[in-house]
Amino acid sequence: MRRRVRAALAVAMLLGEDVGRTEKFVAPAVLYAGVLAVLFGGAPGPLPEPWAASALLLYPVGAWLAHALAETEDDDARTVTLSAAGGPWPVAAGVLLAATAGVAVLGLLAVVWGVIAAWGTATTGSLLDGLLAHLVCGMTGAAVGAVFSRPVFRNEGPALIGALVVLVVTGTQSWLPPVGTAAAALGSGRLGVGPLGDLVVALLVAVAAVTLVVRVEQGGLRAAGHRITGLLARLRR
Amino acid sequence: MRLVGIHHTHPSGTVALRGADLDVEPVVPTVVRGPNGAGKSTLLRIAAGALVPTAGEVEDAPAVVGYLPDRFPAARKMPPRRWLDHVARVHGVDVDDAADRADELLEELGYDGDDDEPMGELSTGNARKVGLVQALSCDPGLLVLDEPWNGLDDEAADALTRLLGARAAPTLVTDHTGTAAGLPGARLHRLREGRIAATTDPDSVPLPAAPPPGAMMRLDMACAGDPRPLLERVLPPARVEGAAPGRFTVRVPAPDSDAWLAAALAAGCAVRSVRPVRSARPEDRR
Repeated sequence: MRRRVRAALAVAMLLGEDVGRTEKFVAPAVLYAGVLAVLFGGAPGPLPEPWAASALLLYPVGAWLAHALAETEDDDARTVTLSAAGGPWPVAAGVLLAATAGVAVLGLLAVVWGVIAAWGTATTGSLLDGLLAHLVCGMTGAAVGAVFSRPVFRNEGPALIGALVVLVVTGTQSWLPPVGTAAAALGSGRLGVGPLGDLVVALLVAVAAVTLVVRVEQGGLRAAGHRITGLLARLRR
Repeated sequence: MRLVGIHHTHPSGTVALRGADLDVEPVVPTVVRGPNGAGKSTLLRIAAGALVPTAGEVEDAPAVVGYLPDRFPAARKMPPRRWLDHVARVHGVDVDDAADRADELLEELGYDGDDDEPMGELSTGNARKVGLVQALSCDPGLLVLDEPWNGLDDEAADALTRLLGARAAPTLVTDHTGTAAGLPGARLHRLREGRIAATTDPDSVPLPAAPPPGAMMRLDMACAGDPRPLLERVLPPARVEGAAPGRFTVRVPAPDSDAWLAAALAAGCAVRSVRPVRSARPEDRR
């Protein structure tokens, strides 16, 4: 287990540097920074309301980052990583770890920017809520992005459409933990399962995503995959 | 380490392996040969742990496996030594030790790429060398090499042959150049239509660990200028099969081949290939 965790961290560093050098992180990061500039540029209302939007936006941005990390290596280079890591588990976990590190940086940027833009309106409690909400949204997004890429989806088109549908549907339901409730709690002060509850749900979603990716990599869901492909082929006819 | 009853079907529906069984030898190299599309690369990917088979078991896999895929110059922006450090860390071995070994191996293989250049801009040969060093430098309990002699120049190919000949740990190799079959003690297996061919198949009979009495080796050598004076005066006697300026081929008894090679290397020649002579007729063996 310890070896797997170490391997996962090492994979996260490898993929992180790869994405850093290929600059595939630039588009989502610039998009996010741009929206933050609009959000906090004028006269933002008192905190934590403005953070609701920045946390919610970190949901798709996290998915984008995780997708970039999962797809950064070509198929042959990926076999070397898989073999070195000793199987699919550390690779899937590494993608999620690196993406979580990325969204943590962006989330911190949003929180700090908010504190400066709406100076004097943040309390210790709202600061903690804001930090947790950004982490929750970003991490859940990373889980969605990890599922909607290789090895579960081998084609870019279906992966993109599937991810967009899931992100829009789950991101707009303010009753749905973890993303909906986390963003809504900041905006209207309504409490869902609480900030820590959201974090627990987000962690569960992340574990479920890693499990799904590993199962697909191990060929565990081949039968289901064949059934779906067969169904699609029949629908097309 | 053993592969037992490996079946594999690709997501496209292509059946690659149909019940392949393979024991990887603990000391001598295990060589898998077979025609294109026989499933060699798929089998090696499974042995390396990069692919989970549809059915079958990989038993007693060691913790650290060094793997070189068949298609490897990876288009990366990372400089080669950064990548080697990352892979060592993923392997879970000490990064500094691995880097020291990698430096030695890169030098031995004659690597001359730029350290700061992205890997994607290396020449094919240098990229292959980085890939080989990645697999070798982690001190692997199992080494899986898919066509490792591909894309190497003569000197690097010889260096690799020496490295693999000196290795006394599980090694699984595919190779169409025939060099792997000449490694000391190499056991040959033939993969045909997704199965390891039975021992009744003449091509799959494992080579005995020691060469049989009377076995001959064919040495293909390169030298500067006309080889004839060299062959007549400097080198030990041998049956010359062909000689041309810059190149010659001789046949020597297998037990003498090492001494002969040493003499030829001392005389300034380079080894192009060393292969056992396959005798079609049994009377040749006498």
